[in-house]
Amino acid sequence: MNGKATPRRIAGKVLLYLAAILLVIFIIGPLLWVLSASFQLETALFQRPPEWIPQNPTAANYRYVFTGEIPQAYEERGLLRSPITQEALFLPQSIGNSFLVAVGVTLTNLVLGTLAAYTFARERFKGQSASYLFILGSRLLPAVVVAVPVYQVVQFLDILDTKRGLFLLHGAFTLPFTIWVLTLYFQKMPRELEEAAMIDGCTRFGALLRVVVPIAAPGLAAVGAFSFLFSYSEFVFALFTTQTMNAKTVPVLTAAIASNPDASYTLIAVGVILSIVPPLVLAFIFQRFITSGLVASFGKG
Amino acid sequence: MQGVSREPVHNNSLNPHRLAPRALSPRLYTWGTIGPVIVWVALFTIFPFAFAIYLSTHKFHLIQQDHPFVGLLNFERVITDDLFAVAVRNTLGFTLVAMLFVALFGLAAALLLNNRLRGFGIVRALILLPWAMPLVSAGIIWKLMVHGNFGAVNGLLLQFGYIENYISFLGQMPHAFIMVLVAHVWREFPLAAILFLAAIQAIPPELYDAAKVDGAGSLARFRYVTFPLLRSTLLVVLVYETMIGIAVFDLVYVLTGGGPGTGTTLISWLAWTTTFKALNLGRGAALSLLMAIALGFLIVTYMRILRTQEDVT
Repeated sequence: MNGKATPRRIAGKVLLYLAAILLVIFIIGPLLWVLSASFQLETALFQRPPEWIPQNPTAANYRYVFTGEIPQAYEERGLLRSPITQEALFLPQSIGNSFLVAVGVTLTNLVLGTLAAYTFARERFKGQSASYLFILGSRLLPAVVVAVPVYQVVQFLDILDTKRGLFLLHGAFTLPFTIWVLTLYFQKMPRELEEAAMIDGCTRFGALLRVVVPIAAPGLAAVGAFSFLFSYSEFVFALFTTQTMNAKTVPVLTAAIASNPDASYTLIAVGVILSIVPPLVLAFIFQRFITSGLVASFGKG
Repeated sequence: MQGVSREPVHNNSLNPHRLAPRALSPRLYTWGTIGPVIVWVALFTIFPFAFAIYLSTHKFHLIQQDHPFVGLLNFERVITDDLFAVAVRNTLGFTLVAMLFVALFGLAAALLLNNRLRGFGIVRALILLPWAMPLVSAGIIWKLMVHGNFGAVNGLLLQFGYIENYISFLGQMPHAFIMVLVAHVWREFPLAAILFLAAIQAIPPELYDAAKVDGAGSLARFRYVTFPLLRSTLLVVLVYETMIGIAVFDLVYVLTGGGPGTGTTLISWLAWTTTFKALNLGRGAALSLLMAIALGFLIVTYMRILRTQEDVT
């Protein structure tokens, strides 16, 4: 980029920046709109044209969610409906549920997924390709396809409406992906260090723990992030295996609030904002690992 | 690391996986590490799958007591149902358009972000956001964007004088269908962009230099250098997005509920309503299995593509 600043070059740069601005607006515009809505009361939200930046921003909606204090404007019954929904009060709890399940799923993926993938990558044994194919094949089964029978299994195990149940379900649907990615990852790593360690008396497990895991940390971070995001976001299974706040997760609760015709749109906006904060923070922190992990998992790179 | 190995080194040094761990027998270690995972995954995939086959071949309605075997009758009923034709048409249309736009937007974003300009690093990080959030949240965000009473899209159109009254985007066709598509593309194109960007960055710069020497302009360089080398990534994106498109469910659930009318009734939505609203588990399972077969076909295609790619590189 150290060529001369000819008019043509400058025009090109301006065009590129314009395109980038459009892209950014497309990406975060919708987010900002919802953020803006979450800081308004419904009467303000319904103005035409809207206040793009709230003139009288209020945290009342958030206060309601966290303390149960009903925003004053909503206590007046002048509106055709009472736009407060009690469900919104459960948002913090549902985030807690999602978080607990997702952390459990992530840890499980990191431990069991790493062990299994390392075995697939390095050992040779009877039944290897059959079991590997099984893992691969189950990787992309969409939830809707197995919804009913999975429900029956969960019911049979007597774990309906529990976080344990969701943990087991999400584990089963993340482990195949984790194993696939990590197996590819381990296969690309040079064997020499592990071999040296094993000649020095390390077991396979010892080599994994002391040599492989430290080197593979970026890959592990990526699959950890994937597992967390999957579990936190998963909707179909969570929708029909949970009934109460004992196990309802954020996607289930936000969807319930959003499809409640009486719920205030500003509260729906609060629900969306709260539901996306944890995964977005995670994605931002782990951005580098997620990107390279994605690229690797799609068979390139 | 802990003293001298008791095993003679010459024995196995060329064949590392033969080196037996001391504490466990190798076979115990092997199956100890993969066994639990296989059992776990099988419990929630193979068993449900087998059960789905059982359901689909029986008359299985939740409000009825007995469930006689009916062979392929459920499949027949499902396929000849008018709604099935509608759902298949909707799903194919949705998948095709979504796949094309995801690939197109992804490629355009990748080409843009490949320019090393100040500030583009942040865009590269931002682009992950739609992909990282729950699909349900993405759907609700777009519901609020295009809402008929206050949505930002209506607000913009009004502000710039294109409309006088707000439009109910989700209440009429083809708007509702297009809105589900927009939300879907918004959520999916970041993935394509990341894959394309990585593929572009993997192209050796010498190729561009050589093309420049040959007098190729930037369009010609894209046509003859970049694009051919992106072809395998393009295939991966297209096939993967087809699989994702066929299974779209969450967005329909929060955005349109299959409506207006049957306008956004995709095949997964039909399977869902057949099972959980009509409570006809037999037919729901038949629909699900048809989807699974279509997806299985795509997965095999996908694996083939990946394999030929590995052969090339």
